[in-house]
Amino acid sequence: MSSSQNIIKRTTSSFATLRTIYAKELRGYLAVPFGWVILGCTMALQGFILQAVLQVMTHATGNGVMYHMLDNLNFWFCFIFIFPLITMRCMAEEERQGTLEGLLTAPVTTTQIVLGKYFAAYTFYLLLWLPMLLYPLASEIGNVYTEMRYGIQPEGVITYMLADWVGPYLILALSGAFFVALGIMCSALTRSQIIAAILCTCLMIMYYFMGRATELWGEFPAAPVFHYMSCTEHVRSFSSGVIDTRPVVLYLSLTVFTLALTKRIVDYRRWTR
Amino acid sequence: MVTAEHLHKTFGRFTAVKDASFSIEKGEIVGFLGPNGAGKTTTMKMLTGYLPPTAGTARIAGFDIIDSPLEARRHMGYMPENVPLYDDLRVYEYLDYRARLKGICGKSVRNQIGEVIEKCGLEPKRKTLINTLSKGYRQRVGLADALLGNPDLLILDEPTNGLDPNQIRQIRELIRALSENHTVILSTHILHEVEMICNKVIIIDQGEIKAADTPENLTANLRAAGRVSIEYKGDLDSIVQELEAFEPIKKVFTEETEDGWHRLLVRAEPGTDSREKAAAIIASHGYPIRHIYRHIPSLEDVFVEMTRRD
Repeated sequence: MSSSQNIIKRTTSSFATLRTIYAKELRGYLAVPFGWVILGCTMALQGFILQAVLQVMTHATGNGVMYHMLDNLNFWFCFIFIFPLITMRCMAEEERQGTLEGLLTAPVTTTQIVLGKYFAAYTFYLLLWLPMLLYPLASEIGNVYTEMRYGIQPEGVITYMLADWVGPYLILALSGAFFVALGIMCSALTRSQIIAAILCTCLMIMYYFMGRATELWGEFPAAPVFHYMSCTEHVRSFSSGVIDTRPVVLYLSLTVFTLALTKRIVDYRRWTR
Repeated sequence: MVTAEHLHKTFGRFTAVKDASFSIEKGEIVGFLGPNGAGKTTTMKMLTGYLPPTAGTARIAGFDIIDSPLEARRHMGYMPENVPLYDDLRVYEYLDYRARLKGICGKSVRNQIGEVIEKCGLEPKRKTLINTLSKGYRQRVGLADALLGNPDLLILDEPTNGLDPNQIRQIRELIRALSENHTVILSTHILHEVEMICNKVIIIDQGEIKAADTPENLTANLRAAGRVSIEYKGDLDSIVQELEAFEPIKKVFTEETEDGWHRLLVRAEPGTDSREKAAAIIASHGYPIRHIYRHIPSLEDVFVEMTRRD
């Protein structure tokens, strides 16, 4: 026994701890049905949107398919509900089960816990958008089939054009970074997953409508602020291929701020327990 | 190993722990005793650094729980009350996660898990999902978790809560075996258990530490210690007079049994044994004795005396 004390290999690297939490949380999405249900639902919804978009695209426009996919009310309707689903469990479930106590009494800092959970949720969120990359391939298969069956060579509707894909994925990644952080913050505020989900949905809808305030109220002196933070406008400009650095700064700073706040909340809630 | 200095915790207007100071030496098994809601769990949670104390602090293995919480936690294994575990993991996966969280790495992870699984008798449940485990096995997983990394100090909050007598015995044996290499703090309200395994007792009531000593010292000074009861047949008054004249005996209470014997309840100085003399006095009159018994004070008596509300 006392000899084994000497040979226990230990690390005090905070990165190793972060990676441990990250791996466990990511596994929590992928090794249980939970994550796959979300992935399946998201894919189905993306499919519906694509179907609607293809209808629009028969009246040919100059924009790529991703522009039409994202600049679309259907998209926002689904998009807003993804985040509460992904993040509602993160902190709330730990607290309800009481496992947060074990986590916070291990040699782990609150920052490591919050970041580990954040990066895992964010990774899972990014995974949700990977299946869309298969659309051009699917469309190509469709084209090949059409050519074989009918002998006509159709023009590619959905193509792997870099300009079509980089912008949309960039804005999905950027706004997602903030919204996932927002969801984790909501989850840290309560021990009930349902309350966390409702709170997150409310905040997201508020943020969404703040971005559209100028559409409702017209231009007014403070309107630039609302333009600046309008996620719909960001999505529109990015998915049409205009990559602007202002939203990059906005979303990254909002993400860092929200995560810092979350860390404070987790620490604060220990006092009240 | 552990020194608590004026630990104080309030929740709103309610004071859970008042100015608790105590120290625990290396290798001691300390039992926290107290009625429900006395502040046992709160004190333990403060020691683990989970609940920040309102005032005061504690040091674990020389590390302050507020100034260097990570170092303090590295020297400690904690098993919370009701053993919260991740239900969707298997026992092995759970221990693996916990071992890595505690900073164990490389080959040691596997060695450590193997070691604690063996110590806690978890071998048959190694690959079982935690939510299908019985209460007893959950408790063992919690204990195994606390043991990972071979910490100097184990803090166990009600380790035998909700177990059946056989399981309680197993856990008790385990804790006793652990005491060779670890300092153990455990809380319980099963007094018998403390008597059997602890070599120091801290009694808490209404947030205050009422006593901190060895069980022997605590029981030795009790009012109940030294009390003797006797049943005999014969004349009452002369015997009582003779007994009360004898030095350590302070007072004799009498009552009649249903079948016409006398029952004497003899109150004497704590720590004395007046059986021999009393028996001799009664025998000198030729009266038969059918029962003589010296009350052995238990922690229960200590507990009742210290936490009684009347």
